[in-house]
Amino acid sequence: MNALIYYAFAVLVSLMLSACNVAPWERGNLAKPEMAINPNVQHAAFREHVFESKEASSGGIIGSGGGCGCN
Amino acid sequence: MRNSILFVFFIFFLSPATKAIEVNEMAVSCPATLESTKNPLSLKKYLGKVIYLDFWASWCPPCKKSMPFLNALRNKLHDQGFEIIAINVDEDSEDARKLLEQFPVDYVIAMDPHGVCPKKYDVKAMPSAYLIDKQGKVRKIHLGFRSSDEHEIRSFVTQLLNEDKNKEGIN
Repeated sequence: MNALIYYAFAVLVSLMLSACNVAPWERGNLAKPEMAINPNVQHAAFREHVFESKEASSGGIIGSGGGCGCN
Repeated sequence: MRNSILFVFFIFFLSPATKAIEVNEMAVSCPATLESTKNPLSLKKYLGKVIYLDFWASWCPPCKKSMPFLNALRNKLHDQGFEIIAINVDEDSEDARKLLEQFPVDYVIAMDPHGVCPKKYDVKAMPSAYLIDKQGKVRKIHLGFRSSDEHEIRSFVTQLLNEDKNKEGIN
């Protein structure tokens, strides 16, 4: 019985956590430049190009955009 | 204990979900404040006009991009009964005011820093536009804004403006 209660509680908590979404109109703070994963996109692209040339490999690099969520 | 868990489950699942405004439903008013007069926004006042209800924010690049086009469209078609109501959803309305000082627009601006209006309409993206016909019915929901959308928006607004003219012609 106790196991069932704990299981139900765990399910409830996980469901509640999944409800913590940020609505599109609430992304003002996420859209600030300092919130961008990569604040200088052009500089990062240049470094990425150099890295790819040196390592003879490409891809696996993420973080080119911010958190605006527009479009 | 068991009853209390069941109770929490019921509260969680039966809590009122936001009812989104869909196409072909009547547009509803919401508690936004008109920037020009500081009065509450009332959509009823605009019955008989074609309305472009726009949700925008100063931090949203496509919103800024849409402003010159929307202003030009509004000024071109205003005499025919077209109006744009742009509800700003910035948490700090001052951000929007600063932007409007830089890029002034002629259409109606309303402020909703608490996000009640977008919640009521269940806005899916920024910007989102609800095209409302003369009877107050939402006829199209346009998400986002790209330059390539301009033609589509202009055509649809013109179509809505001509609807009653056509009816008058039939009657």
